[in-house]
Amino acid sequence: MAQMPQGKPLPAITDLTRPFWTAAKAGKLVMQKCGRCGTLDFLPKPWCIECGHLGLDWVEVKPQGTVYSHSTAYTVMMNDPAWKSDLPVVMCIIELDDGPRMYGQLTDCPPEKVRIGMRVQAHFEPISDAAAVPKFRPI
Amino acid sequence: MTNSLRGEVAIVGYGRTPYSRAKPGERILTVDQYIAGAAALALEKAGMSKRDFDGQGLGVSHAEASHTVNWSAAVAELLGISPRALIRGDQGGASASAMLIRAAAMIHAGIIDRALVVGADTPLSIPSIAPGLPLSPERTRGIFWEFQGPFGVMGANNQFGLVQTRYAHQYPMKREHLGKIAVTTRYHASLNPGAIYREPFTLEAYMNSRILSDPVRLLDCVPMVNGGLAYIVASAETAKTITDKPAYLLGCGEVSNYYSGSRTRPDITVTGFVQAAPEAFRMAGVQHHDIDVFEPYDDYPMIVLMQMEDYGFCKKGEGGKFVAERDLTFKGDFPISTDGGQLSGGQPGGAIGGFMPIVEAAAQLRGEAGPRQVKDASIAAVSGFGGIPYARNARSCITLILGSEK
Repeated sequence: MAQMPQGKPLPAITDLTRPFWTAAKAGKLVMQKCGRCGTLDFLPKPWCIECGHLGLDWVEVKPQGTVYSHSTAYTVMMNDPAWKSDLPVVMCIIELDDGPRMYGQLTDCPPEKVRIGMRVQAHFEPISDAAAVPKFRPI
Repeated sequence: MTNSLRGEVAIVGYGRTPYSRAKPGERILTVDQYIAGAAALALEKAGMSKRDFDGQGLGVSHAEASHTVNWSAAVAELLGISPRALIRGDQGGASASAMLIRAAAMIHAGIIDRALVVGADTPLSIPSIAPGLPLSPERTRGIFWEFQGPFGVMGANNQFGLVQTRYAHQYPMKREHLGKIAVTTRYHASLNPGAIYREPFTLEAYMNSRILSDPVRLLDCVPMVNGGLAYIVASAETAKTITDKPAYLLGCGEVSNYYSGSRTRPDITVTGFVQAAPEAFRMAGVQHHDIDVFEPYDDYPMIVLMQMEDYGFCKKGEGGKFVAERDLTFKGDFPISTDGGQLSGGQPGGAIGGFMPIVEAAAQLRGEAGPRQVKDASIAAVSGFGGIPYARNARSCITLILGSEK
């Protein structure tokens, strides 16, 4: 995998995943929606995990959600050492209002303040010319 | 699953090499050397030769250090064995248990009569997760990493921390309960010369250990080691000619990618053991109170506690209470992780640690566990647990019931 100038990992973008990264770069959160049963899911999949339909459409989802769980990392483990300068990293599983869950870093919130059920809003940190990563902050 | 595998096969030998933390000055062995070392111990225990596996089965676990397009056949070549059937474990920490089930099914079908099953990894000596080494290609290849690495997910400590936070939100559990599990495994490790960390620690030391990914602390985490393990499984008929102490497979249950509830919003505090364990108990025809020793997959105490619940040893949400009320030591009323488990014994890579519960259960059932022997152990429950799915908790969950009598 490629690395950012400061050493953080960059995604190897494929035709499957490009819509997500391009949209994030433009400040939007998009996910795949099944053209048959309507299931919204993340991360990108080859077919609908509910019904197996191959026709998935990228749709914009509301960039709001709640914290489903959280764990604040004080060390870099199984990731690139360049993350060290960002520690502590408040990592969450965010449950989006539109349904899917995703990993998301909570910013603008001290570790002792994060709570399950906290309302959060996405923002987007550019990481390359082609991609940005969604992060979240408390509403 | 039918009950057709009950008593069909038995473990007749096992081996576990000394583990290494690959400290400066130590001799660094390769994965192949660990595989051969573990296989040699298992063959010696069974009184067999590698030639006994020409035309039979060879099971090879996936290893992070040796990811090639043709790994299991390459291992056969390195060992100089000509097996009829190669069995490849590809389910992380569930690989060892999965290969036992596959081997049993092949033996039942008459394709083979016996199999040598091996696994080794050297996570501290390859690009992997060791501090200062770059991540292995295996960990950074593929879509899951693309949506974790750049997002700042810090590996298993972080992922299990997320599971633990959610669990503690839904159910009454104190950190002391998890601490009791960690303290017990270390006590057992103190009785096992093969364990990597053997100095007992107190509950207080557990409570105050360094936070790595809140709420996961240093003494919640499995330490990586280099090492290898092996076991030999044979048809029940052949087993009787090899040993007077076969450890029979009485039951098995398995599920991968289990969802508790919705596929997109499952309850991550429930594992696939709610499906795998009842299957295994049914096949074996045993009840929970019949289990003399429980060898869970114990890379984190939280996962051990969830297994106790999802196996049905207690109700969901009451794992903390259950742990508090039971004596988890080898002398107690609910012995677990009697070899020190992976938590204190060490984990030879995420794919190989799953051999440890099988090997220790076989040792217990054969009365070969020395100072940590559970008295009159005749039925053991064993877990395989492999992989962490995206924002969930357990990719592959396998339960084995092993017994000293058919």
